Amino acid sequence: MTAYTGRCACGQVTLAMAGEPVLTRQCWCRQCRQVAGGGPANNAALRTEDVAIAGQLASHAYLAASGNTLTQWFCPSCGVHLTAQSSARPHLLTVRFGAIDEPHGLKPDTAIWTDEAPEWAVIDAEMAQFPQQPPAPPPVSAD
Amino acid sequence: MTHTGHCLCGQVRFTAEAEPVGARICWCRDCQYIASGSGTVNVLFPEEAVRYEGEVGTFRMTADNGNTVERGFCTGCGAQMYSRTVEPKGLPMRIRAGTLDDPELMAPTAIIWTESAPSWATLDPGLPHFPKGPQ
Repeated sequence: MTAYTGRCACGQVTLAMAGEPVLTRQCWCRQCRQVAGGGPANNAALRTEDVAIAGQLASHAYLAASGNTLTQWFCPSCGVHLTAQSSARPHLLTVRFGAIDEPHGLKPDTAIWTDEAPEWAVIDAEMAQFPQQPPAPPPVSAD
Repeated sequence: MTHTGHCLCGQVRFTAEAEPVGARICWCRDCQYIASGSGTVNVLFPEEAVRYEGEVGTFRMTADNGNTVERGFCTGCGAQMYSRTVEPKGLPMRIRAGTLDDPELMAPTAIIWTESAPSWATLDPGLPHFPKGPQ
């Protein structure tokens, strides 16, 4: 069953997501802000096998401050970032909030790397906050 | 003074030979695609003062305000670099704040297209809010 659908801005890439996110996060690290227009990236992590992708993707990988290699996939036609994955968690695939069709009802519940947020940032006080990388998420059950 | 910046992978670099003329956050739905679900944070410069080097991919579209805009991104890492208005001419170029070497060069002074911001967005109450584009 498809729980959520998504696409890039030009529609060349489409997403179909089965099941709910394992976690949602808002990341203020410098690299996310460099890619995402200056604000934080908002991400929903799903089980990798729950995300089906159609269309052509370009990718870029870099060594993140966490020490893990982060691979990011984007549409080569419009540049919109769709998914990302950490080398530490190949069982999870992160989907960018902006690429999820509305209304989806999801919201980021944890802000991370708040140490690197700009002075003008307004971070929801109701969100859990971590100055840097949070502890690893719990293992995902195989059911 | 010259302001400089680059994408995440370093393939695209730019210089802006002018002082910024404004800074604002845009929550239009198109910007949310670009900004991984956030509003884009933009620092505005006169277009003629900005020079890009490297391979910039472009995507043209009709924005929510009816203008024809071009979004530039790095073809190597997909970092969003700028938005410029192709028609009408003469509007300032919007450089994505995250690509500036000093991303805090100018703090946002307004928030626009708030009517399309998600319910969870935290919008600084100390800044002017515009439901659509700036007046």
